[in-house]
Amino acid sequence: MLLFKRLACLMALVLLSACSSLIANQTSQLADNISIAIYNNGDIESVGQAIPTFLVLIDSMIEGSPESTSLLRAGAQLNDAYAGSFVEQESRKKLISDKALGYARKSACFERSGFCDLDSIPFTEFESRLKAAGAGDIPAIYTLAVTWLNWIQIHSDDWSAVTGLARVERLLDRVVELDDAYDNGMAHLYLGGIAALLPPALGGKPEVSREHFEKAIEISEGKNLMAKVVYAQMYARMMFDEDLHQTLLQDVLGADPDVPNFVLMNHLAQRQAAELMASAPDYF
Amino acid sequence: MGVKIAIIRVFMLFLVCAGTVHGATIKVATLSPDGSAWMKIMRAAGKDVAVQTENRVKFRFYPGGVMGNDEVVLRKIRIGQLQGAAVPGGALASLYPDSEVYNLPLKFLNFDEVDYVRSKMDSKIVKGFEDNGFVTFGLAEGGFAYVMSRRPIVTTKDLSGGKVWIPSNDPSALRVVQTYGVSPIPLALPDVLAGLQTGLLDTVASSPIATIALQWHTQVTHLSDIPVMYFYATLAIDKKVFKRFSPEDQATVRKIMGQAFVDIDRQNRKDNEAAYQALLNQGITLVSAEGADREEWYSVASKAEKNVIDKGYISQEMYQEFEGHLQDFRNQAGQIRVNE
Repeated sequence: MLLFKRLACLMALVLLSACSSLIANQTSQLADNISIAIYNNGDIESVGQAIPTFLVLIDSMIEGSPESTSLLRAGAQLNDAYAGSFVEQESRKKLISDKALGYARKSACFERSGFCDLDSIPFTEFESRLKAAGAGDIPAIYTLAVTWLNWIQIHSDDWSAVTGLARVERLLDRVVELDDAYDNGMAHLYLGGIAALLPPALGGKPEVSREHFEKAIEISEGKNLMAKVVYAQMYARMMFDEDLHQTLLQDVLGADPDVPNFVLMNHLAQRQAAELMASAPDYF
Repeated sequence: MGVKIAIIRVFMLFLVCAGTVHGATIKVATLSPDGSAWMKIMRAAGKDVAVQTENRVKFRFYPGGVMGNDEVVLRKIRIGQLQGAAVPGGALASLYPDSEVYNLPLKFLNFDEVDYVRSKMDSKIVKGFEDNGFVTFGLAEGGFAYVMSRRPIVTTKDLSGGKVWIPSNDPSALRVVQTYGVSPIPLALPDVLAGLQTGLLDTVASSPIATIALQWHTQVTHLSDIPVMYFYATLAIDKKVFKRFSPEDQATVRKIMGQAFVDIDRQNRKDNEAAYQALLNQGITLVSAEGADREEWYSVASKAEKNVIDKGYISQEMYQEFEGHLQDFRNQAGQIRVNE
């Protein structure tokens, strides 16, 4: 009788766990679908107005499945995109990107215990833990890297935040080592930007930057217009290469932005390209 | 004969052209990366100057070292290709050696001393630059450099046993570290991170801001708490060019750029203090020399300082004035402490 009771309890636990996993999968699928719908919408203003509703929805899904790594990643990505591209007020940007990074950290930590506390362990230990990452870890470390990078940018007045940049670069390097075409080669775009942060006179690596940008363009078959915009803004301006700057931006402004998976980003890229073209005479 | 006159005319035209500033644009080069706090403030001030002078004076900036290192930039100013540079004070030392008086090794104990001495002497240094061909708009703090290493550097012997970086072509730094018995490894700035990563170097001296911005913080584990050198930077404009503007426009530029440099000066102090704390938060260990070990650091620095003064790198007059202000402050501070 006792054995039966124990078995029943165990069965109930397994069932409960299966149910919650099913719900988590469904909600995670919904979150992914929301993200895809947003990224394929070219109406920047409508997307900006709609995202807060989806953020509340995804937050509530995470409340229901707080250890779902895929939901946490979706929450991190959407909060991150919103803070980076749609919020003007600095204090709100910080608040939302804090939440995004919190989700990304949790997701990575639930994925693999070695990915907990990656921001606070000594740098040498960080590097050795990262070596253990395999192909299955790419979504976790990539989301952490991208969210962290945006968080650093938003918190660039905080020197403790800026110290994390080297770690973000290593995370993205690892993603590229494992699968450089992941997320249409976006890791190359971020690495290109990071390599162009410092001019060569201060130890920056313009050649490395250029190679990453060209790889990002090549992997996306030229569909990712943001790669060209960041290439112009970060590399061409740093190198004072006005011809390259203008060529890249003219390409972007003349391209069809409505390419599946890149629609929102390409519309944002065209807007940014127009701003860069307008400010070019002040720069060169 | 006709040809000769034509040549003279062309030559005269050249002389006339050389006497004007093309489009009244001051071209300024700097190593500072675009997007840095410095560049943001200088660009904003440049725009303000253009508005206030109704475009009679405009600034165009070349950030990130695109015009070459400080030495090359000064050469370009001499031939008129550039009109100004935002550079560390040391870059102008060949024109005005006394400007390096603030850079004497281990001279300041803390920022209170810096603030007092600078309040007395900045104007003298600014005047010194101007007497030697460059109009500047105040000095902006670069901060204190601290010794940072992969090993705890507590005593001067710890330092002399290290693989210590100094900037290439920096005779002042070479003189100082040699006094400490160090055989340094001179490297250009862009190569330092790789030097640390490969083990060619294990010790650098740098400000907290620069350590983080250049990512050296990922390669060091210890920070020694003695400020080994104070440094500053300035925006220097070729005086010949500046004097061609009307007195009203000169006053406008001085006012706007002067305020910009007050802002940069304050911001850098805040940033360096925050960056120092950020380094410690990153797990870098603070090491401190105590008692005789600490005194040894200062006593060797005094020898290096004596060498600089005896050899006339900095004039006796400048040194005595500097020393007088520093002692005044220490006496007053001691008095305050006694009274407390």
